[in-house]
Amino acid sequence: MSGDTTRLRMGILGVVVISLFSALLARLWYLQVLAAPTYKTEAQLNSVRFIYTEAPRGRILDRNGKVLVGNRVVPTVVVDKTELGDKPDDVIAHLSALVHVPVNVLKERIDDPRYSPFKPIPVVDDVPKETLIHIREHQAEYPGVQGVMLTKRFYPNGSLAAHVVGYVGEINDKELTPRKSKGYRAGDAIGKSGVELAYEDDLRGQPEVEKLEVDAQGRVLRSLGKQPAVQGHDVRLTLDLDLQKVAEDSLAQSIAAAQATYDNDSGKRFVAPAGSAVVLDPHDGSVLAMASYPTYEPAQFIDGISEKTFGELNDPNGHYPLTNRVTQGLYAPASTFKLVTSIAGLETGLITPQYTVNDRGSFTIGDPPTVLTNAFSEAFGYVNLSAALTVSSDVYFYELGSRFCPGRCRTGIQDTARELGMGDFTEIELPFEASGRIPDEQTKKRLHDSNPDAFPDPEWYTGDNLNLAIGQGDTVITPLQLVNAYATLANGGTVYAPHVGGSILDVNGTEVRSIAPKVNRKTEIPAAIREPVIAGFEGAVSNSRGTAAPAFAGFPTSTFPIAGKTGTAQVSGKQDTALFAAFGPTTDPRYAVTVVIEEAGFGASAAAPVARRIFDQVMGLPLTPITRVQAHD
Amino acid sequence: MALDLRSAGARRSSSSLRHVDLLLVAAIAGISAIGLLMIYSSTRQGQSAAGLDPGYFVKRQALFVFVGVVLMVGIALLDYQVLRDIAPAIYGAALFVLLLVVSPLGTERRGTQAWFQVGPYQFEPSEVAKLALVIALAAFCAAHRGDLDTGRLTTALGIAGIPLILIYLQPDVGTGMVFVAILMGILLVGGASPRQIAILTLMGITAIVMVLQLGVLKDYQRDRLSAFLDPKEDVQRSAYNLNQSKIAIAAGGVGGRGLFQGTQTNLSFVPEQHTDFIFTAVGEELGFVGACTLLGLFGLVMWRTWRAAITAKDQFGMLVCVGVLAMLVFQVFENVGMTMGITPIAGIPLPLMSYGGSATVATFAALGLVLSVQMRRFT
Repeated sequence: MSGDTTRLRMGILGVVVISLFSALLARLWYLQVLAAPTYKTEAQLNSVRFIYTEAPRGRILDRNGKVLVGNRVVPTVVVDKTELGDKPDDVIAHLSALVHVPVNVLKERIDDPRYSPFKPIPVVDDVPKETLIHIREHQAEYPGVQGVMLTKRFYPNGSLAAHVVGYVGEINDKELTPRKSKGYRAGDAIGKSGVELAYEDDLRGQPEVEKLEVDAQGRVLRSLGKQPAVQGHDVRLTLDLDLQKVAEDSLAQSIAAAQATYDNDSGKRFVAPAGSAVVLDPHDGSVLAMASYPTYEPAQFIDGISEKTFGELNDPNGHYPLTNRVTQGLYAPASTFKLVTSIAGLETGLITPQYTVNDRGSFTIGDPPTVLTNAFSEAFGYVNLSAALTVSSDVYFYELGSRFCPGRCRTGIQDTARELGMGDFTEIELPFEASGRIPDEQTKKRLHDSNPDAFPDPEWYTGDNLNLAIGQGDTVITPLQLVNAYATLANGGTVYAPHVGGSILDVNGTEVRSIAPKVNRKTEIPAAIREPVIAGFEGAVSNSRGTAAPAFAGFPTSTFPIAGKTGTAQVSGKQDTALFAAFGPTTDPRYAVTVVIEEAGFGASAAAPVARRIFDQVMGLPLTPITRVQAHD
Repeated sequence: MALDLRSAGARRSSSSLRHVDLLLVAAIAGISAIGLLMIYSSTRQGQSAAGLDPGYFVKRQALFVFVGVVLMVGIALLDYQVLRDIAPAIYGAALFVLLLVVSPLGTERRGTQAWFQVGPYQFEPSEVAKLALVIALAAFCAAHRGDLDTGRLTTALGIAGIPLILIYLQPDVGTGMVFVAILMGILLVGGASPRQIAILTLMGITAIVMVLQLGVLKDYQRDRLSAFLDPKEDVQRSAYNLNQSKIAIAAGGVGGRGLFQGTQTNLSFVPEQHTDFIFTAVGEELGFVGACTLLGLFGLVMWRTWRAAITAKDQFGMLVCVGVLAMLVFQVFENVGMTMGITPIAGIPLPLMSYGGSATVATFAALGLVLSVQMRRFT
């Protein structure tokens, strides 16, 4: 190979090298000089951080705009654990001197596990504004410490309507996963129960999003703009704050009175651990008051609830104060169920309003004979339907109950109960509602199959129908179902889905959306059926022989006639449950009321007085403290 | 450095030292210095954020450079002609370690078995094998004085092919491509006819297409290699490296963001920035001016190596320089090109710049060979 060829080949190699370098330089020129501006913006995007600050939640108001749950802006010192720097102890000591809180208390709060790990931890509340300014001016001395104005849930009426409004807590994984697309982030607050949960989408606003430019060291250079927070909408409830107060107050008083009363049956005082009272407007199913006892302070959940407090709220000995007994409590309705039996008897034609039973105080059934009696075996003599309701003759309803069972029992009573919405969800918007149970052949068999020890007999006997007729046996319903059934009788046959939400308002108070009443079912209760039943209930309240008459002594029933029914449910192993269901005025029903108190004796003694006081309130009558009424039903 | 060499006083070479290429030495020193600076810049933030020594990587690289310089000087002082005589032994030893590394003695990292773990250091035999290939091919072609018939050409292909297969076993596609570049460079100058070169090029293209199509490569390898064709397609995966790298370089603009000021560099948006993607740190922090300076220094190294080849006193020396030149040019072009999206992404270090012991030391050794040839052009 000649030297010339070698030179040529080396030349070719040189050209290849020069070409390759030229390509690199050309590309470099393109990227850094020609295309640099477009890429530069992309590079900046990479060093942008987004800071999210939750918007204040909307408020929860009563029907007249009075605040049940509001917001309060609280000057707060917060600490970001990760940014305390090299000498966290020095910073905390410094802060301790500034806010006059001992170092160990500050440290305890910083390490308190109930705070979200995703956010700076509030360590001192309600500090003077000057302190916040001091921290800001001497930020170098306080790395990781910030003074902020936090918006917090505020409960001006304490625990009032706690079960209706519910509480707010930090979102958990199970709640977060389905809501990620809605912009929720770990550490966010979310409604956990009640209206806070049911109207979460309205109450939650849009968080403030701040774009920050971050330099090479990760330091914030400047804000690139803020998308301001949008406060959540207010929810105006159908609740009447004053009536709610009276309902809660009356319930608590009656429970206290029961607890002070000796129960002859069990040989001890009434336990009366829990109860509920609810007031509905029969016109549209709106809830005017909803009280559940025992109650709790929703404010305990602000900033996250401590494990200890949450444990107490879920301790059986505390009788589960978080439970809303109006929607979640299940009770045998006892004599208040005679509403259903009466309508069923009339509808099926098994009785007429004039049908009369000679009540000798007892009813005998079966072979060998079983004797069933009225309370205290009281004999009421000849009673028709209205009289039987007024005096609460069980014998009448045993007779009626047995009439459904010539041979195999017919399901007229169950059908009517279900038509009136019992044994099924009322579909109120509040979460965790219980459905209850109206027993029949199938449910009894199902109960037996699932637990043969507790329910040894799978067959449906006439005896079961008698129990059903007086609201005992396996029948359990919620107080809300009960009041809804009475409201349905009151309005002539429309079963509404009760609701606590009235309308959604924006920050300026302008209505965004009105929550329309929802009809679950329309049944026809003809006057021929309605009138004798209501007459019987009116008698129970205003007739001298009426079971609720002692509780309503002195009430102006002539101007405000009330239809009501007492009930006393036997629960095995427990004292009797006191019940009372009513509505009024019967001329144009505006209030349907149900009161249920566990282990408190007769409905006439413990439950009816609570309803009486609620009616006193709606009538604008002076309120007197509740005393236990000596009566029985 | 010239002074040091003089005082070293090796008798046999003392006369050659007068001819040492100071320009080449200066360019090497310049590139190494920029390399150390950029390694520090791209690792200190991440290290201190993790509570580690921010100077960890730069200190280790300084040690590698020191070892490399000592080796370069040692090789420069050695008469390269000795290597021609022992070329088969060098080649055999290289094959042996390549075989050893794919045996259970080698260490696997990120799916590639290419290292020996020696205490806190990793030794990558394929880097050394590059040099062995240069020497072996140069010796073979020089022995036949540029007269390569089909049989000899096939032998030359075999010489390159055996280590290539071993490297594909690791697998290390990038280093394999460097082997091919060395082979092509030496064959071009070493006597392959234009027809042979044309046929080889055709075969090469066919091989690349087949490798991409027939699933010889693992999915991630194919993705990385072809990401440069359409980086917008899947930013999340292989193209992520490329997009971030391009953004970083472009963000540097003409003057750069200033040393230690690159947000892309410091916030670790670019992965492997102190190793394969070191050029992005140069591009972002030192800008067009800095990047051109660096490429200029590389150009200087290429030019002086090319000159050493042309002025070499024998064909072996020339072909050694050509092999080193082909190796360096390919690595610089492939590496810098991939950070800018004009060549496929492959794990090829930027010579004298990327963090890594074996590659740094091997590059210095290669330049030692060039110096040795260049110094002895008149003897």
